[in-house]
Amino acid sequence: MKKFTFRIASPLFSRLQSHLFPGDGDEHGAVIAVGVSKSSRETRLLAREVFIARDSVDYVASKRGYRALSSDFVVRISDYCARQGLGYFAVHCHGGRDSVGFSPVDLASHARGYPALLDILSGEPVGALVFAENAVAGKVWTARGVFDLDHLVVVGTNVRRLHPFVPSSMPSSSPLYHRQSLMFGDAGQELLGKAKIGIIGLGGAGSLINEWLARVGVGEIVAVDFEKAEPTNHSRLVGATLWDAQFFLSSQRWPALQKLGRLLANHKVKIAHRVARQANPHMRYHAVVGDVTLREIAMLLKDVDYLFLCADTAQSRLVFNALVHQYQIPGMQVGSKVPVDKASGEVGEVFAVTRPVLPYVNGGCLLCNGLIPTDRLQQEALSEKERKAQAYVEDAQVSAPSVITLNAVACAEAANEFLLGYLGLLHENQQPGYRMQYSRDRDWQRVLLRSDPGCLHCGNGSVSVCARGDMVALPCRSGQTTLGGT
Amino acid sequence: MNAAVQQAVAEIRSAYSGHQVDVAPDGQDGAFVKVHDLPLGSQYAPERSWVAFRITFQYPFADVYPHYCLPNLVRKDKGALCSAFSQKTCPGPGDPEPATMVSRRSNQLNPTTDTAALKLAKVLDWMSSQ
Repeated sequence: MKKFTFRIASPLFSRLQSHLFPGDGDEHGAVIAVGVSKSSRETRLLAREVFIARDSVDYVASKRGYRALSSDFVVRISDYCARQGLGYFAVHCHGGRDSVGFSPVDLASHARGYPALLDILSGEPVGALVFAENAVAGKVWTARGVFDLDHLVVVGTNVRRLHPFVPSSMPSSSPLYHRQSLMFGDAGQELLGKAKIGIIGLGGAGSLINEWLARVGVGEIVAVDFEKAEPTNHSRLVGATLWDAQFFLSSQRWPALQKLGRLLANHKVKIAHRVARQANPHMRYHAVVGDVTLREIAMLLKDVDYLFLCADTAQSRLVFNALVHQYQIPGMQVGSKVPVDKASGEVGEVFAVTRPVLPYVNGGCLLCNGLIPTDRLQQEALSEKERKAQAYVEDAQVSAPSVITLNAVACAEAANEFLLGYLGLLHENQQPGYRMQYSRDRDWQRVLLRSDPGCLHCGNGSVSVCARGDMVALPCRSGQTTLGGT
Repeated sequence: MNAAVQQAVAEIRSAYSGHQVDVAPDGQDGAFVKVHDLPLGSQYAPERSWVAFRITFQYPFADVYPHYCLPNLVRKDKGALCSAFSQKTCPGPGDPEPATMVSRRSNQLNPTTDTAALKLAKVLDWMSSQ
């Protein structure tokens, strides 16, 4: 049986925790409306909205137990969930710390109320969460039965995980990871071993992150790229050989041999797969030859625990941004740019950038920060022939300057932030925002974030895709793909 | 065509209900759209034309541009058309046909309010003001 997990963005979680644990030691209640994401790995319940039950108004004395949600509150919120196609999860708190479970009174109330709620919600899950300090337990009612919640993930700058009880001990890490385990702890190393990470783009930036993730012991990678290695990639593509790019054919003067070279060249994800396997023979690896704008491919990324975007198209940025918000996955966009004046050859402001993107308002949404140009989205949808017919559009085939060491600056920053955040090691008061290094000035700058509460990805409005999960379509097109080894 | 593109087409049909609207899938879940017999402005010859454009699959995040109208559009006063106009071929479900391309990019597109129907109205309004 697949496990059920719960994901909630840190601002929503903070709001819920403030209500449940105001310091009075009393019991309080709320309801969380959830979207659902189903995959072969797990079913994720994605917190979209928190409805606070006001003490003595919505959360009242109960005849059968201590307190309960009022019938008016339950009707109002369940009706809202039904209309929105969302699941319904009642929340309350118990005292204590580090472990929690439902009382017999709680379980009896589930049995009385949830069959009817399941009918009202027409198939969306219903259930309950009970919190203590640093612990949560859950019951998930579906048409197929009642299931225990495995754990809850708080998605923020630091990723936090809550269980019904705190695991008492972890197996010792492999000697292969001894030195880093002194920092991460055995529990941290275990988390990395269970992590499933997505990488969009396995070129100059993605190939670096790919190897580093494999070396630190990440257990599973989904790598997506449709491009093949070319001789011009060789100086930046980690692990690539001249044979991968069929250099001896591609560098011939005869077009037929060049074409044969391109045909026989290795896909970038296959090279990345080889590199990752050398670094970590036991990991699971999905080398996906395809375009992330294809729906079938993008859906392979919906159940990852963290997502890196290392491709620099507006289309892939839009799909990445949608995945982060719709499926509540923390993400990171990585890149570097070397502007060179075409006429004079003068080198402009060279920069490397890391953009953390977290699934809530002011979390770094690429749409809100003007990083997905709407005209480029339109242009990139055109065929090469159509682009030429429009003529004024910049030719996407023109090579942009790129240097492995500049890529490495952004990638190292991104990989560090992933490791520290994923293992909960970032300081809580660290400054939010994107980070840019202007290499020629040897200067790091923080870019303050912009946000639009009405945004279709991160916003709070009814049309936002935030935490909608499988209910809404990703901004992708139909098409076919090729899957690589595992 | 995906749901967002279908909705855009429905809004165009509604906004231009007196006009023939040809719609064809673009093979990528988007659509080629051609709205017939639209007024371009009395300063042009011809004064009326079809206007064609493509709604791509990432609409409403993707801009809807450029737009196309009859080829060899000229000003009656013999003045030159501005740089937003050029002679190209119009993409569509069949062979590309000669057309006058009108390139009006939206620099501040808001995907919640800037629909394909509104963009067409803005392009026509801009043309008539030139």
